[in-house]
Amino acid sequence: MAATPVSDHLLDALVASLTRRTATSQVVDDADAGRATARWMADAGVARAVLPRDPVIARIDLGAALRREGIEVIDWPTSLGRREVLGLEGPEAVCGVTVPALAVAERGTLVLEASPGHGRGLDVTSRHHVAILPAERIVETLAEALARTFATGGPVPSAVSLVSGPSRSSDIEKISTLGAHGAVSEHVVIVR
Amino acid sequence: MSTRRQRSAGGVAYPDIKGTLHERTVQALGDQTLRTNLETAASSWAAGQEVMRRDHGMDEMRARAREIRRRNIRDLPALLGEMQANVRKAGGQVVRAADGAEACRYITGLAQARGVTVVAKSKSMATEEIRLNEALEASGIEVVETDLGEWILQLAHQRPSHIIAPAVHLNRGQVAEIFRREAGTDDVPDDREGLVAHARVRLRETFAQAGMGISGVNIGVASTGTVCIVENEGNARLVTSQPRIHVAVMGMERVVADWDDAAHILQILPMAAISQDAANYVNLITGPRREGESDGPEEFHLVIVDGGRGALRGTEFEEVLSCIRCGACLYSCPMWRSVGGQAYGSPYSGPIGAIITPLLEGPSSPASRDLPFMSSLCGACGDACPVGIPLPDLLVRARARASSPATRKSAVAFRAWSLLLRRGLTYRVGVVGWRLFVRVRGTDGWVTRLPGGGAGWTRVRDMPARWPPRR
Repeated sequence: MAATPVSDHLLDALVASLTRRTATSQVVDDADAGRATARWMADAGVARAVLPRDPVIARIDLGAALRREGIEVIDWPTSLGRREVLGLEGPEAVCGVTVPALAVAERGTLVLEASPGHGRGLDVTSRHHVAILPAERIVETLAEALARTFATGGPVPSAVSLVSGPSRSSDIEKISTLGAHGAVSEHVVIVR
Repeated sequence: MSTRRQRSAGGVAYPDIKGTLHERTVQALGDQTLRTNLETAASSWAAGQEVMRRDHGMDEMRARAREIRRRNIRDLPALLGEMQANVRKAGGQVVRAADGAEACRYITGLAQARGVTVVAKSKSMATEEIRLNEALEASGIEVVETDLGEWILQLAHQRPSHIIAPAVHLNRGQVAEIFRREAGTDDVPDDREGLVAHARVRLRETFAQAGMGISGVNIGVASTGTVCIVENEGNARLVTSQPRIHVAVMGMERVVADWDDAAHILQILPMAAISQDAANYVNLITGPRREGESDGPEEFHLVIVDGGRGALRGTEFEEVLSCIRCGACLYSCPMWRSVGGQAYGSPYSGPIGAIITPLLEGPSSPASRDLPFMSSLCGACGDACPVGIPLPDLLVRARARASSPATRKSAVAFRAWSLLLRRGLTYRVGVVGWRLFVRVRGTDGWVTRLPGGGAGWTRVRDMPARWPPRR
């Protein structure tokens, strides 16, 4: 892994933006990332985690760390039926794990790209959402993130989701209530 | 691809709406609960707008947003062609529908051909405009609205009262009552968290069953053929990722040129709509799932609806096509805040609805010709619009275009009035004549009832029979 210097300014701005969006975050070193993430999930009462097939997940060896905490690991793509993916069957405390392609410091937005290893529904089908974000993927503005994702001249991903905090609805009395359809909580593990 | 036909007149305003606009307005004004609910919503939005202006430079962003949208509308035919080509290149299908009926026929036919029995929908004004739910239900297909506010209204058999906050006219107690009736049990919590959790579980069953997901489109990006769907709840992502088929319905004016344009519009939209600098979820979808991907729809269909929009290009009303449907003009409007969206009798309410409903329907449609008069012309909507549409000016022009027995009568009256005032002699004769008339007509120094067209004036006031009036 090429060591890209991580700007403290971008890191601090992202953490502040995530907090504003009622997401939580922690900054960890590469070596400790798997263990720290697993501990966070265990504390949140997570019973099952759905992991994308991604080099970052493999590098921090998240699957092994989760199993050590007694958390069931499901690898994406999964053979689970649609009802179970939606949480209508099986354990309720499911956590969908994502590896964002980019994150926007200014707004606390994660850019999730669909691919064979990364389902487009991972974060919204589950009760909790944990994102593993390599710190060098933080950019300043949304315009920059969109340009990097779409204005490449090459083929664009079939689905990109911009996620800015846990699911919420203000449809009842205009007051924001968490966990409408997607994840009730969002936690971002920033890996340095 | 379908053949282009002349746009059909009519069809935007709800055909089954009860009473006249005046009757609905009077009724809404008497509903104290409604007024409290609307005021709560509008003032929380207004407080948020202050923050957007102060901390996020929203005023500076407007000028560029206006420039972008005007350019998009000018280039619309080329952008739509590019959009269409790029969606097809990504493996999606594109249909251009001249009107709502044609769009509904295509989607209903597709659902029937694929054996779809349950459709999960995310919030879309375009589908509300073309009355897609009725068309699908008439073919025996079950349609479930999955946006929390839209689902509440579907259960209550009500129409949306706001573009982005459809159930804003209802309070928590009313929602709990609606959920209890649907669930057939009193075992539904009263608090907001409980109500949201209840809806989540009920609607997951729909996502598990649905064979087709139908969404709207906030903007289409021509350069890559991507549709952008902006939401807060996560239901639009489920609608576009769980069912086997995704149908996106887009008004033809919603297209932007490239990701530069898109980035700016995607930023200003949530600022204007919900006073936040980002929506929770923005779904950017380019065609169906690709080879090797294990979720997402196998088929993607983009239905582009004209419905009278194309004919507005090059007219004095062209700028209404810049609208990004944020709902800011509704919240800012003292009329909307007093009566809510349902009184308008159209999916599009508030200042923008008062202009576009009669434009899309034709100037003499009885259902919408009075709508441009639902305004005090205070100008608040013009200040609120994030894409700088001159709404107050367009309201005045829409009034000039309106044609009904009442507007024709007042046009004759004003012509007579202007003839009378234009010459000194007729003016003086008129003044003397009027003085004599009110002196004879009045009792105890006051005229309490005028005949003919003056009756409306004296219904709520008296006119002095001489000046100065007798106390």
